[in-house]
Amino acid sequence: MADNAKMQPDDAQSGLEAVQDDDALEGGQEDQIAPSPEVAAPRSGGNRHVDVGSFRIFPDLRLPEFDCGPSQAFVAEGTKRDDGPIFALLANPLLPTRSELLRVLSGVKVAGQLDLLDYEIIYWPPLDRSTIICFYAKPGGSKVFTDGGKKAVIDEHDLPLAVIAPIINILTVLSDKNLAHRNLRADNLFFADEQRTTVVAGDCSSCPAGFAQPLVYEPIDRMTAEPAGRGAGALSDDLYALGITIAALGIGHTPLSKFSDKEIIDMKLARGSFQALVGHEKLPLTLIEPIRGLLCDDFEERWGLAELNNWLDGRRVKPVQSNSDRRAARAQNMGGRDYYTARGLANGVTNNWAAALAPLRDGVIEVWLRRGLNDAERSKAMSEAMRQMAWSGSDKRTAEDVLVARGIAILDPNGPVRHKTFSAMLDGLGPMLSYDVQHGRGPQAFSEVIIRDLPTFWFSRLSGFRPEIQSQQQVYKMLRYYMQQQTMGYGYERCLYALVKNQHCLSPLVENEYVIHIAQLLPALEKIATVTPHSSWPIDRHIAAFIAVRLQDDTEPQLTALQNPGDEVEFSRSIISLLALVQWRHGPDSLPHLGLWVARLMEPATKVFHSKERREKVEREIPKLAKRGNLVELYNLINDEKERRRDQDEFIAAVEEYSAADNEVFDIESSGASRMILAEQIGRQVASFASTMIALLTVSALFMMIVW
Amino acid sequence: MAKKKDKSAAKSGQKGKKSGGLSFLAILVMAVLLFMVALPTFITLGVGLLPSVLAFLFDRHHGRYLVRCVFGLNFSGVAPYVMELWRDGGQSMAMATHQLLDPMTMTIMYGAAGLGWLMYLAMPPIVANVLSLTAQRRTVELREQQRDLIRIWGDNLISEIEKGSR
Repeated sequence: MADNAKMQPDDAQSGLEAVQDDDALEGGQEDQIAPSPEVAAPRSGGNRHVDVGSFRIFPDLRLPEFDCGPSQAFVAEGTKRDDGPIFALLANPLLPTRSELLRVLSGVKVAGQLDLLDYEIIYWPPLDRSTIICFYAKPGGSKVFTDGGKKAVIDEHDLPLAVIAPIINILTVLSDKNLAHRNLRADNLFFADEQRTTVVAGDCSSCPAGFAQPLVYEPIDRMTAEPAGRGAGALSDDLYALGITIAALGIGHTPLSKFSDKEIIDMKLARGSFQALVGHEKLPLTLIEPIRGLLCDDFEERWGLAELNNWLDGRRVKPVQSNSDRRAARAQNMGGRDYYTARGLANGVTNNWAAALAPLRDGVIEVWLRRGLNDAERSKAMSEAMRQMAWSGSDKRTAEDVLVARGIAILDPNGPVRHKTFSAMLDGLGPMLSYDVQHGRGPQAFSEVIIRDLPTFWFSRLSGFRPEIQSQQQVYKMLRYYMQQQTMGYGYERCLYALVKNQHCLSPLVENEYVIHIAQLLPALEKIATVTPHSSWPIDRHIAAFIAVRLQDDTEPQLTALQNPGDEVEFSRSIISLLALVQWRHGPDSLPHLGLWVARLMEPATKVFHSKERREKVEREIPKLAKRGNLVELYNLINDEKERRRDQDEFIAAVEEYSAADNEVFDIESSGASRMILAEQIGRQVASFASTMIALLTVSALFMMIVW
Repeated sequence: MAKKKDKSAAKSGQKGKKSGGLSFLAILVMAVLLFMVALPTFITLGVGLLPSVLAFLFDRHHGRYLVRCVFGLNFSGVAPYVMELWRDGGQSMAMATHQLLDPMTMTIMYGAAGLGWLMYLAMPPIVANVLSLTAQRRTVELREQQRDLIRIWGDNLISEIEKGSR
């Protein structure tokens, strides 16, 4: 796909502008918040364009009003068919996109959702690398919401039909496929037409779930996770975001926008989401009921689509308790603050990691759970965690960290997995790892979480039915094994590609090519092969892990052989085997540059044959096959099983023959004295025999002379 | 088992001694008969085979190869004169004395015995040389065979052998 992209001659491009675009993108990533949408006319002044598939994009013509979080919008047009007005949304290459949503929404019209016409991988000149670009049909109207306003954009009486009904439609479609939008917010809504009768929701697939959401839109159990680790979520999370969206549209600005994220977290934890909102914002009376129902902090009690539809139809809906967290009879102090709920205390423990160890280890929190909160089950779990820490052997510091992390899991089992500064939902560990790795924070925090088996403990503590998280359990079982293996094809790289389906390969060799699908890998390597010195193998840890996850075939034998780089014959054979397997499965048939690259490095692999003659024959064949670019043939050349077995058998026979000859020579050389003894004996026997024979002949001759 | 072997070895030793004793007795009986029946022949043989008798007395080695060597050629030297005594001399003492006093006769008889002794001395070094040459030739053949193997299999073969020997 990326190959289709062609950059047309530029007549008004300045290098500075490209750098500015790049900087803007980076800024968005670092802050982890959506860049504030600026309403401005598209910049003009250039007709430079990039063609991809049936679309043309103009990199110099930005459309900031259609930006979505870290993704930037550009002017685009269809070249082969009339799709009406469209715009292109360029995904930040440093963030994984949401593959399931791209697949489900691409080319499908869903009422209430901006039409995703197509998506492509494209080489983006300003970034000098490839990334994903989504093509959306431009909505008929403008953006619904501009933050900072003082009055509602849509009348509160029109909200149900104009906003809630279309959103319900999207959520119904997505929840049927076990997906969640996770990007529902007031400033991601557009009027579907110029009459402003109904709205459509904007992009939801170009960045990790919930990444672009302001913290207030996140439900209480996900809000303490880092933006990249907020998780794929479920319908209940979208409904919570819808509640905040309704509130925002009702009051004309983002609720609680005057407070910092930390203050919002503290308010929500202390009083519950709805109470925090009504305490500081004047909500329209007609919308209070759905907002209360949608902002219920217990996801099982929260309004679902049925309750919302009932409310739309004017039927009475059962009232919900907005904050169902059990309050303790007495407070538990942590870091100088008093906490009355377990969820609040979990946040306190996270924020006071070192100081929280003493009350956890000494049983203070366990006593508080039992006596203050009257929660025998959690108290028992806490004492069990304390006992396990006491059994933990030599690594005391690790055991202490594990105790704190488990303590948090017991206090807030539906919250994110927290370990020191790491905080991500169970269904958001993959994007979190991806973010950490691509933003220079490294995989250390993730590795510690997995090695210490914290997700397993979290799964065991989950309460309620959470299919979006429980479905991940099977994947997590293998992660610890992957992390414990230090060799190529395993490690955090394997976890990354196993967890994030749309993660592009992060190998320095092909990172800029944005390789998401296994079929893209070899063409990307072929392209790189023309400019890279062929001094090292075209497979590194990332590529090995990428192949291991994305290729459907069993690659364990090759990965096992890669565990010993000292055995250069098996090592090189395994690497060629992996590449050949990918070519065999996904093509292309000819990779001449990659073939040459592999051929230059495959000298050790020819040692698979012991016979010099066979090796020379293979070495003569390699350049010919390399020129053809068929890695499968190259592999077959060194992996002719019949020939190898024959070579091996003959070699064993030769070794035996050589050894036998050696032994015989040794025997001959060391038998001088015994040979002399033998020679003496034989000599005497020969002499006596000859003498006897002469005597007999003489006597016989004499007799014959007498007789005749 | 070992005891049985010892017993059988002892028996065969006794047997050997017995047979040796018997043959000596047989020779003695024959000598006495010869002395009584054909004195000139006895004298010719007695004097002519003196080197063999000496060899018999001095060679105590197993197999008595020296005796066999000396006796074989010594008898070949004596036999023509015994025949001459029987055919031309009619078993006369005069003929026997005449033969024994002839230096040529003595030279032939004792020279033949000497040749037997020389053969006994010369044959082992000749055989040793033959065996050494054979061994050398075999060593060269084996080395050539190993060189051929290395030519086919390269250094791999050596490293494999070294690995095996370690």
